Amino acid sequence: MLFFKRGRVPGARSWELKTGLGKEYLKVLAQLDEALKDLDLEVKKVESQTLSDYKPGPDGEEEMRYFVRLKGTLTPKEARMTGWRIDNLAALAACMSLIVSKQGKSERKELEQIIGEKVGRWRALTLTDAFLRSGYLEEDEEGLMKIGWRTRAELDLESLMMLIAESKPRGAIVEEEPGEVAEATEPLEVEGPAETVEAELEDQASTDG
Amino acid sequence: MAEKTGRVSGRRELEELIQTCVSIENRQFNPFLLDISEALRIIRRHAGSWKTLGDNLLDMRAITSLARVVGLQSANLRFQSSSLFVDPGMVKQKVESMSREQLAGFLLLSWHPVVELEQLTEASTKEALDYWQKMLSFFERRKRLQPGPFDSPGAMDTPELARLRVLEEKAFGRRLEDLRREMKEKVGEEGRVDYWTFVRASNFAATVLRAQMVSFLVSYGMAMLERKKEKMWLTPRDPPFSTGQGSPLSLPIPIPMEAVVPRAK
Repeated sequence: MLFFKRGRVPGARSWELKTGLGKEYLKVLAQLDEALKDLDLEVKKVESQTLSDYKPGPDGEEEMRYFVRLKGTLTPKEARMTGWRIDNLAALAACMSLIVSKQGKSERKELEQIIGEKVGRWRALTLTDAFLRSGYLEEDEEGLMKIGWRTRAELDLESLMMLIAESKPRGAIVEEEPGEVAEATEPLEVEGPAETVEAELEDQASTDG
Repeated sequence: MAEKTGRVSGRRELEELIQTCVSIENRQFNPFLLDISEALRIIRRHAGSWKTLGDNLLDMRAITSLARVVGLQSANLRFQSSSLFVDPGMVKQKVESMSREQLAGFLLLSWHPVVELEQLTEASTKEALDYWQKMLSFFERRKRLQPGPFDSPGAMDTPELARLRVLEEKAFGRRLEDLRREMKEKVGEEGRVDYWTFVRASNFAATVLRAQMVSFLVSYGMAMLERKKEKMWLTPRDPPFSTGQGSPLSLPIPIPMEAVVPRAK
């Protein structure tokens, strides 16, 4: 139930799990979490308020959604295999840091501007749309951009903000702490095949919606 | 009179206050830029002078907007005390100064992609098979729509497609050249031909089409259009053509039905 995608969003709602596994489903999930450790995976619980598709459970209890996600993180080499281009990763990081610093909401123009400085204006437009389609971003009724369900499920925002807040411009770091930066800034393939990323995002978006 | 003026200025002040609150809600300004006690003083100052329903509604909107800003201030304080707080200006500066590699590296250190599998399961296969077996055949479903007899697919040749305007019979450039040659043949000793004499065809649609083609000839510098009072003349040009020779002016020419009638008769 957690692995297979049914509809737009992967994972399963708490009431679905309760129906399928019984009242003690939380214990089953804890056992599953334990078993998944060996595969470097974990069960992630996301609160209902943060999910766009929130519907109260049949018995009125607070709704949660459970996902299975990677427990550790990807190395740049592994990330290259996902087909994501460095531009996309950088744009997503810039996007999220700005939205979080603005307490979860930001104007689309501002996001496009900050991404555009890194990847160019046209690419900023397409990437913003791609992030919206894949669930990293959501648009509220007032047209403001906010953090989407996928970001809540996949990103450790505290860690990202900490890393960005503590960062120094690349040149400065290399001079001062050459050993520490090596891992974080190991260059990815900048000029990777554009179509792979687009395909990845497009694919994700098309299967989502 | 003074009371009326006071009400007008009061309305303006409240509208400005509401506008400020809306801007703050849209994250254009920091919520702490608004002095809440001053805003409340303004609302209180005018509260007694409101008499109409509209004024009271405006007063209510101002209070509600102010309450939302207070809510934002509260959220802001809670957020500032959390570990996620970073000043937006600083974040912008940091992001601008960082390379793409650095940003991507930071994202990777905080990214735990969700596992999503899309493949057939026994249950979904069974469901799909049931659906397929219960589904009526295409012809059965078609009958319900009552579309009439079924036309079998046939072949269509190029002239037929051209007649249906799916294909062009000639390339556009070739058609322009043909028209220019026709114009050249029709010019008299003056070296020019009357616009309407040249454009007019057997029916209205054909006339419009010729007028459109002539407009391209003029724009591309393949012909020249002169206008003197009511009369218009076309003068064909010889190659080489350049768009620089084209008409720099846009000349709207209405095509009345009467323009076609003389030849039709």
